Parts: sequence; C-alpha cells; structure tokens
Amino acid sequence: MPECTNPLWPCAMTGAAACLAGFEGMTVVIHGSSGCYYYPTTLLHAPLHGTFILEHEIIFGSEDRLNEVIGGLSGRGGRIAVITTCVPAILGEDIQSMLEKHDVILVDSPGFSGDVEAGYKNALSILAPKVDPEVRGVNIDGVCLFDPFYAGNVQEILRLLRIAGIPAGTIFSHDRLEKVQHAAPYTIGTNEDFGSGIGEYCGGTLGFPAIKSTFERLSEVFAEGDVDRVFLELERQEERLVKACDKYLLRFDPPSVAIFAGFSYARHAATTLERYLDADIRCIGSRNTPGESKYPVELVTGLDGVRNLIGRYNPDLVLGSSFERSVCKTGAFTGITPPLRGSVRLAPAPFAGINGTLILVEQVLNTCMDKKSCL
Amino acid sequence: MILNPLPIHTSRFGGCTITGALSVTTHVRNTASIVHGPKGCTHHNFSLLHATGLDNETVTLPALVSTALCECDIVFGGEGALLRTLETVAGSDVDAIFVLSTCIVDTIGDDVAAVCSRDFDVPVIVVPTAGFLGGTFQNGVVNALSAIAGSAGAVPVHDCVNIIGEKNLEYEVEENYAEVVRLLESLGIPVNLRFVHEIAFDEIGTLGAARLNILREPALTPVGDFLKLRFGTPYIPVFPLGLSGTLLFLESVAKLFDRDCGRVLEKERQLQDDTLARFSDLHGMAASFDPAMNDPDSVNSSAEVAKVLRIRMGQPNPGCVCLGPGSPVGTSGVRRMLHRWRRQIHA
Repeated sequence: MPECTNPLWPCAMTGAAACLAGFEGMTVVIHGSSGCYYYPTTLLHAPLHGTFILEHEIIFGSEDRLNEVIGGLSGRGGRIAVITTCVPAILGEDIQSMLEKHDVILVDSPGFSGDVEAGYKNALSILAPKVDPEVRGVNIDGVCLFDPFYAGNVQEILRLLRIAGIPAGTIFSHDRLEKVQHAAPYTIGTNEDFGSGIGEYCGGTLGFPAIKSTFERLSEVFAEGDVDRVFLELERQEERLVKACDKYLLRFDPPSVAIFAGFSYARHAATTLERYLDADIRCIGSRNTPGESKYPVELVTGLDGVRNLIGRYNPDLVLGSSFERSVCKTGAFTGITPPLRGSVRLAPAPFAGINGTLILVEQVLNTCMDKKSCL
Repeated sequence: MILNPLPIHTSRFGGCTITGALSVTTHVRNTASIVHGPKGCTHHNFSLLHATGLDNETVTLPALVSTALCECDIVFGGEGALLRTLETVAGSDVDAIFVLSTCIVDTIGDDVAAVCSRDFDVPVIVVPTAGFLGGTFQNGVVNALSAIAGSAGAVPVHDCVNIIGEKNLEYEVEENYAEVVRLLESLGIPVNLRFVHEIAFDEIGTLGAARLNILREPALTPVGDFLKLRFGTPYIPVFPLGLSGTLLFLESVAKLFDRDCGRVLEKERQLQDDTLARFSDLHGMAASFDPAMNDPDSVNSSAEVAKVLRIRMGQPNPGCVCLGPGSPVGTSGVRRMLHRWRRQIHA
C-alpha cells in the first residue's frame, strides 16, 4: 500500500467498536493501549471500556490484565465483546481460552486489517445475526455510530415506517442485542456503505426516488401497510423542495460541486443536487471503494487527494468533513461526512429519508445563498 | 471507562507517545512527520490535532504521512514501506522530516534508525516513540523535544530566554504564553525561541542562545537537563503558577539575569491584590476541588488562591461546589480561574 498523507478515514478497530457499541446490552472492551482507546471514545460518544495495556503485558502476556478488566465487567448483565488492537492481534495469545470463564465475544479487528467499514462488517458478522421468520417487520440497516447522521436516520426511518403502518424489525447497529438473533426477513437501508446483508434487501432510503421505490416494494410485502401516506408526504415535501430550488435558480446559477464522503452518501448528494438544483457535479472523492457512477469519481484516502481534486475542479461548493472545510477555507461548504468538528451539532439530523433530503438541500441552499450575498 | 488500575500503573491512561511527539513536531513549520505504522494511527492523530486547531481558532493541517502498513507488511516487515515513504517525502519541498514509530512497528522489530540513517538530502530526525511501548503522551513530548534539540549546535549566548515545551494542545496555550511574556517584559527580558511552538526549522539552531530556559511543567525536567548538558543553559522547571508562584518566578528570573526586581515585584503584588479584591464576594463560600485535579502544582497554587480569598475548601460531596480543574499561569491565569470559580459557586 502506498504511503498516505493525512489519512481521512478511521481504522477497522474503530469500525468494530462503532458496530458493537451501538447495541444495548453489549459491553465493548478495546484490548489495547490508552492511545487506541481514546480515539473511538471521543469519536463515537459511546461508553467503551479498555484494557489499557502496557509494555509489561506485551512481554509477559495480557491474560492477567484481561481477566482483571473483564472480571470487573462480568456480572453486570451485559454481553462482553473484546476488540483486539494491532499489537495484541499479532502476539498470538489465545484470548478466547484465556477468557473462557467469561462469556466473551472476541472480535479480531486490528487497525492494519482495513478501514472503518471492514471493521464494522467484521464485527457484525461475528455477532452472527439471524433472520427469525416469525418476526413481522422490516429491519433498518446502515446505522453506524461513526456516522453523525445515524441517530437522525433511525428516527426518520422509524417515522416513515410508522406512517406506513409497517413494524420495525432490528436496527443494525442500534438496537437491543437480543434482537440481533431475531431479525425480520426484510431490510431497508440508510447507508449502503454499512449494509448488513441480513434479510431480503428492499432498497435504500437516500433520496426521494429511492424512498418511493423502497416503499413500493414494502407495499408488496406488507399488504396491510398504508404506504400511500408516505407517498403523499413525499409528494408534498418534494413540491416544497422544488419550489425552494427554483426560487434559488431565479437569482443564482447552479453551484458546481465537489463531494467527499463515503460512496453511498456521496452518490445520493450528487444525484439530489443535480436533480433539484441542476448542480454541476464536478467530482466525487470517495472515502471508500467507489461503485458505478455517472459522475467523475475516485478513491480519496488522504488530504492531498482532497487538495488535488478541489484544485483541479475549482468547485463553488464543497460537501465533506471538517477536513475538507479546512482545505476549501472561505468557499461554500456543507458538512455531510465525519468528522464534523468545529461546529455545534445537538439535534439528531437525518441524511436518509424524506427529512434527510430536505435537510441536505436546505443546508446547501443556505450555504450557497450566504456565500453569494457575501460576494 | 473502566479503570481498575493497579496503583503502580497510572501510566495506563497516559495516552500515546505518538500523539505527544506529534504535538511537538507538527509545530515546526514546513516539515513533515512520518508515522511508521497502519493508516489508522495517523488518522487518529491527524483528526485530534485538527480538532484541537479548530478549538484554538486556527486551521491546523499538519503534514502527517503514514507509511500505511497493511497486513503483509506486518508479516514480512515494514522497512521497505518506510524507505519508500522517506524517499517520497524527501522529494517534496520540506525543511526536515520527523520519523515516529508505532507500537506495531516496535513489535515486529523494524530497524527504523537504520532506514533513517541513509542520506535523503534533507534532515531526518528520528523521534523515539514506539506507540504505547515507548511510554505515554508525556514521554512522546519529552522525546520529541530532546530529539529536535539534538539538531541544534552551540551559538553565542544573549540576554534572552527560551520557552520550553508549551502544551500545544492546551486550549489556552497562547494566553499562557502571553502571560509569561508580560512577566518577562516587566524585567526587560525578551523571548528567544518558543521551543517548540510554530517555529521554522532553522530557528532551532538558536536554541543554545538563551541564558535561561523556562519549562512549561516539571515533567519536562529531562529536556531541561538535556539542554543544560548540551548548552549549559540553566532552567526554571515550571511556568509561573498562582500568586506566590508568579512572584517566585519573577525573583528567580531576575536573579539569573542579575536584575533588581524590587519594583517589579511590588507592582505585581499590587496587581494581585487588585485582582483578588474584585472577587471579595467569594469570601466565606464553601467549595471543594475537582478530584480530577491531581497535578500537585496546580492543586497547591489553586489552594493558595482559595486560602487568600477565605473560601472554605472541603472534601467533594454532593452539596458542595466543585472547583477546577485548572492551572493558573501568572496573575492573569488566577484572574481567569477566579471568573470560572465565581460562575461555578454562584451557579
């Protein structure tokens, strides 16, 4: 792998922690040093535990320390998951045997094994979710604590399902742990980069066309549901959105846009801004391996790649993380990608669902208008 | 967070040497810091430094280059990846390269020093880190300062001081520096070098020019000793903390520069009296110190202020206002701390 300047995406250990810590009833222990522990803790805002190992444990073995920490956590009612970081992962210790008296899930997810998505998927696969044919409902997947929109996405999709009268199944990964083994036979997504692969996939919820298509499929599966109510809201909100965009276009040219995000979110943002604002999507810098796209897209893992794309395409508007905001400096910017530092975010805003699209376009319009009025 | 610490292992929570070292090396302008390890380690630190920069209202985008070790490098060794990265970075327009190793690199036994000893047409400074296997955040800071100091040679000495080891991730780093400068200016003594805070690489060559080094905190004593050995420069082990600490600082600096500080001390005492008078409403109030405040210098300097203001300090309990944590640098630091105390007490 070539060197990387200012890497923009977290490691597999963080991804595993993001998955596991999303489940109520799961006690997550990072088996590693305090340095490895602090980052996911600050990023995920979840209660994580750590073994905080020292050199001593690397030389003489970490069994005593693991038992000390796991012993302190046992009996509190939660299932314990131990995530190994880089050094413990290569020591060759049989951690499962060391902890056999404690019912522990071991997740081998060292940082060098990949990026955040790889760790998330690995952790979820170790939980071995099962479809329970008796469960009537639809699972929601793509929910990851790493995503600043995860809580808003959950609220929004639950709202839409409630409107449609369709029961919610398991939320991957933000639910009670026992529901992992009793997933519904059908699943809809909020972010395909963190797909679960559980149940029959009925489609995503990023963008109005996707929501329509997904709920059409759900109406076939849940004949008792009332998806027309969702379609009605979709129609009304799309009309508001179109009016707002048309009003903007009366005064301003469409923005030229560079988008930096996970591929799933980036493609949704590009499609939406082109569809409603006739935006010129100059490029997508995908944080993860990109899929098919009609827009120019390339994998961008480091800050140099961001600088290059912004320099090459000179967009009016940049969508991305606070890293991109720092690069584009005074240009128009909308935050859609973690980390989103340097601004206060309290309310759970969605990116998926009807409100997710409304919020995206609302932010873009306000940012662009603020910028234009400053010129 | 589950603590369960053994008493002798408080270093369990001391953070990573890489973070400490990067908090220093990234403050040398137009240099690159190579982190030899998986990409995630560099991302974690880049994200932290960037967030800290945003907190301090500066857009911080330090050049951190990861050798991006993957599983096959862990199995077969990562020295090739380090060499490739060094060659690439050396070909860019940087004044120096710092090389930091991660815990995984130390575990697999890469000979970082040997790879870095080649000629890259640009200074390459190896900072002993090794992630958590090299110690804690504080060890990273000390090792980085010492490694960088090793690149400086002897120069003529002038009547000036160096500021050593400012906490670059501290939210109030600039305010603390400004307070130290104010005190030094009252004695007519200029600062030669902020070692290391937003400096150019060639400025490091002036490190030996100061007659006195002022350390940010006693934990930097190994750096002070190193500089004393290398340049013969004496040091004061800590920034001026609290009321008497500030006066003592002025006396110590004046003595080393053979200056009469009588009038300066009188003026500073007056400033302290005026400051305390503005907080007389705190007299007789009951409070306790935040248990998280465990640095003895901070505790002592805060306790002194509380005593002078006749604040009744007790043990933390649910009905008692918890003050701190804080580390009041100079009289200005005391004033800012007292504003926070007033807010906490009257909340």
